[in-house]
Amino acid sequence: MLIAENISRKIDGQDILKNISLSVEKGKITTIIGPSGAGKTTLLRTLSLLDYPDSGKITWDDKNYRFPVSDKKFHPAWPKVTVVFQQLFIWPHLTLRQNILLPLGNITAEHTAHLKELVDIFDMGAFIDRYPNETSLGQRQRAAIVRALMLNPEYLLLDEITSSLDVEQINSILSHLKVVKERGVGILMVTHLVNFAQQVSDNVIFIDGGEIIEFGGVEILKSPKHERVQKFLSVIKAVS
Amino acid sequence: MLATIFQIIVDYHQALIQGLLVTLSLCLIIWSVGLVLGNTLGFFGAKYPAEIGKPSRVFAFILSGVPILVLLFWLNYPLQDMLRVFVSPFLTAVVAISLVNIFAVAEIVRTALIEFPKQYIVAGQVCGMEAKEIFQKIQFPIIFRQILPGLLTTQVNMLQLTLFASLISVAEIFRVAQDINSVIYKPVEIYTALALFFLAICLPLNGLALWLKRRYTRNLSEK
Repeated sequence: MLIAENISRKIDGQDILKNISLSVEKGKITTIIGPSGAGKTTLLRTLSLLDYPDSGKITWDDKNYRFPVSDKKFHPAWPKVTVVFQQLFIWPHLTLRQNILLPLGNITAEHTAHLKELVDIFDMGAFIDRYPNETSLGQRQRAAIVRALMLNPEYLLLDEITSSLDVEQINSILSHLKVVKERGVGILMVTHLVNFAQQVSDNVIFIDGGEIIEFGGVEILKSPKHERVQKFLSVIKAVS
Repeated sequence: MLATIFQIIVDYHQALIQGLLVTLSLCLIIWSVGLVLGNTLGFFGAKYPAEIGKPSRVFAFILSGVPILVLLFWLNYPLQDMLRVFVSPFLTAVVAISLVNIFAVAEIVRTALIEFPKQYIVAGQVCGMEAKEIFQKIQFPIIFRQILPGLLTTQVNMLQLTLFASLISVAEIFRVAQDINSVIYKPVEIYTALALFFLAICLPLNGLALWLKRRYTRNLSEK
């Protein structure tokens, strides 16, 4: 299990994360929703140990990371936990295939078979040998997800990966996420798409002002208890 | 006219070859010094922005306001007079043009390093890549491709700047052409031949820079 206990973080004197505790189970999708500036991306970066919290504890299965850190710098066990960002960070000098294979080092027959399988699942055959600037955002999105999956992560953190996709592409990502989940990967996903969250999530966390306002099953999206969540969802409903 | 040009080349081939060798050696020294010291200065300028980067930028800014001819003359006459030393015009030209080259190269390298999108490093980290591997396989190739066309264009400019060395009596190809012209007075043919010579060297280099830019410089944004 990926667990955060009482993590807090200040940036420029402002509380961005306040005493947050949550857990992500393997084989389940946990979705974080909330307004812009709520601290969603900071939370993801903190859980992936790209940024350290000021206090609290983060556990990646058997590995415990306590904060504040001592002088001794530790090395997070990436890619056991890996991240796909809103901006995809696909390396521009490599084709999508090279992007996917680069982190693996020496390519084995097992890697090749795994890639073939994922290329089929994500329908990437037509563009996998193109350079990033020759592909669409949706195609790069899929490459970023496949790059992460090729590393066999146990937890996959996804930051607004649907933000630049059209409805068809979102549907395609939705079905692919279900496949990933069925393989036992724990997924923590930030999204602003409530419908998308409803279809794919096992658990939902609503955060605002760096705090968890409501947490529960997917039903909280239909009948939220907290007033703030009700207001947020009603605005989203009105807009959509 | 072509026949006359050819005849001049045949008649004065020894002097022309001599001038060409001076131009090429001047150029090779300026390129080597500029690339080695410029890359070093650019690298440390990016690594230590306050201590090295800022002073280097200030010096580059001041240098950009001084025409190369003024710099060349100032180094060759008043400075040597003040210091009561004699430095050969060839060496003075090397120092003056290399200075310009060093700071031009340093700016290209420093900017590329500073503006390198950090997210590419983060992407490597979360994929479990080591820092050394990230530098070798991601950072260096991307930066190299970004700076290569700019470096080539700068070196072509440096080759063209070597012409100014003739004005402090360095017997490079332009000076030789002037001397030949003072003897036979055929300016059209002589300077056309000189232009063809520079075109033959500069055009392929500029073409290569353009090709590299098109081939390897990819859009680094995520759009």
